[in-house]
Amino acid sequence: MSRYALFLGCTTPTQVIQYEISSRWVCREIGIELVDIADFVCCGMNQVNLSREAGLLLATMNLAHAEAKGLDILTLCASCTGALAEAIERLKDQETRDSVNRKLELVGLEYKGRTRVKHLSRVLYEDVGLERIKGKVKRDLSNLRVAPHYGCHYLKPESAFEGFDDPDNPRTLHELISATGAFPAPYETLPLCCGGKSFPVSREPAFYLVQKKLDDVMSQKIDGLVVQCQTCYLMYSDQQKVINERFGKHYHIPVLLYPQLLGIAMGGDPKDLGLDLHAISLDGLLAKAGMDRWI
Amino acid sequence: MDQHGKAQGPIPISNRNPQFRRDVLKHREAQGLNACFSCGTCTAGCPISEVFPEYSPKKLTKMVKLGMKQEVLASPWIWCCTTCHNCEQHCPQNVQFFSILNVLKNMAAEAGYAPSPWVEQTRQVMRTGLVFPTDEALARKREARSLPAIKSDGAKAKKLIESTGTDKIPAQGDR
Repeated sequence: MSRYALFLGCTTPTQVIQYEISSRWVCREIGIELVDIADFVCCGMNQVNLSREAGLLLATMNLAHAEAKGLDILTLCASCTGALAEAIERLKDQETRDSVNRKLELVGLEYKGRTRVKHLSRVLYEDVGLERIKGKVKRDLSNLRVAPHYGCHYLKPESAFEGFDDPDNPRTLHELISATGAFPAPYETLPLCCGGKSFPVSREPAFYLVQKKLDDVMSQKIDGLVVQCQTCYLMYSDQQKVINERFGKHYHIPVLLYPQLLGIAMGGDPKDLGLDLHAISLDGLLAKAGMDRWI
Repeated sequence: MDQHGKAQGPIPISNRNPQFRRDVLKHREAQGLNACFSCGTCTAGCPISEVFPEYSPKKLTKMVKLGMKQEVLASPWIWCCTTCHNCEQHCPQNVQFFSILNVLKNMAAEAGYAPSPWVEQTRQVMRTGLVFPTDEALARKREARSLPAIKSDGAKAKKLIESTGTDKIPAQGDR
C-alpha cells in the first residue's frame, strides 16, 4: 500500500473542497494512505513573482516537513507539483541546498534531499496502475466523451519530472480516463493553458484563453472537461459563469476533477465525490453516466 | 511605451543602461540570455503573445540585452505571463526565458512595481501559511463534509519570508 503526505496547497482546501473530498474518497477505496501534515504551508509558487528565494524557501520547508516524517508528498494541484518538483531539482545542487538550509535553521529544519513529490494522477498511474484501476470500475461510462486538460505544471518544467510522460504529447491523463471506461476525446486546444496563474493580476488574457478552449470543446460534441488541478477547475468552471455574464456567452460545459470521474466509475455517491458542489451543473453528464436517480 | 506597454513609434534606446544586462546575468538561471539568437520560438509558442502581441518573450530578451532597464521593469506586461513554460520548453538554445522573466519580476518588485495581489498573497502567507484566508464558515463547511480542520499557521513562513526581505516589498502605488 502506498503511503504519502497529502499536500493540499492553498486553493483546494479553501475554494474547491470537492477536489479534496473526491481525492480522499478515491485514495481510501483504492488503498493509498494519506497522512495530513499540519505544518504544510503554501508551496511558494506565487511568491516566486516577488522573490525567487522566498518561493524556494517555502517549497523547501514543505519538503523538509515531509522528510522529517519519512514520507514522500502527494499533490493535487498541478502548480504545487511543479513548484515542489522544481525545488527538488534545484536543491540537488549542493551549494543551493547549503544556502537554503542555512535559512531553514531559522525554523529548526533541514532538507537532506530525500523527499519526492508526485501528483495524485501520477500516483494512480505509477503506483496503482491502469489494470488495477480498471478492476475497480463498477459503473459503465462508455457513453461519456470527455476532454482531458492536463495543467501546465503537471509536467513542466520537464527537467523536474524524470521523464514521466511527455509535456508535448501527454498521454497519462488520457489513459487514466480510458481506464474509467470514458472516452478521452481529441481536441485541438489540448495544450492550452488555463491562464489561472496570471489571473489575480491580469484578467483579460486569462478570459481569452478560457474562452478559446471552451469554444473548441463546445464544437466537439464533448460531454465535459476533465481536469486535475483546482486552479484549472476554477478557470473553466467558476470563470465560465463569469464569462457568460460578462461577455454575453452561453457556455454550459461541465467540468470534473479526475478523482470525481474515477469515483463515479468506482460506484461512488455524488456526496462522496462532492458532485453537489459544482458551479456548472453536472446533470447531463451524470445522466450519461447512468446516475439519473441522483439528479 | 504607454501604460498598456504598446510601443508609441520606435522605442528610444538612447538611454541604455548596460549594467542592467550584467545585473540580470548575475543570476545563474538567467545566463542563457547570451545564447538567445532571437529566433522567436518562445514568442511563437506563447499563448499570451498570440492575443496580446505587446507581450513578447523575444522582445523582452532583446530589451534586456540592450539595457532598457526602465522600460522593462515598468512594463505591466511582465506580469501577464501564465507560467505555462512553453517559451523555454521549445527554445532551441535552452534559454530559460521563464526563469529570466522571474528575475525581471523580482527586480521590478524591488523597484516598486509589484502588483498588489502578489504582495497581499505574501502577507496572507505570513499570517496563515496559505494565500487565501480561512474563516468560520469554511471551517463549518469542511466539518460538514468530514474534512479535517485546517491547522496551518504562518509563523515559520513569516520568518523565512522576512529573512529574504520580501515582506518589505511594497505594492505598486504604495509609495
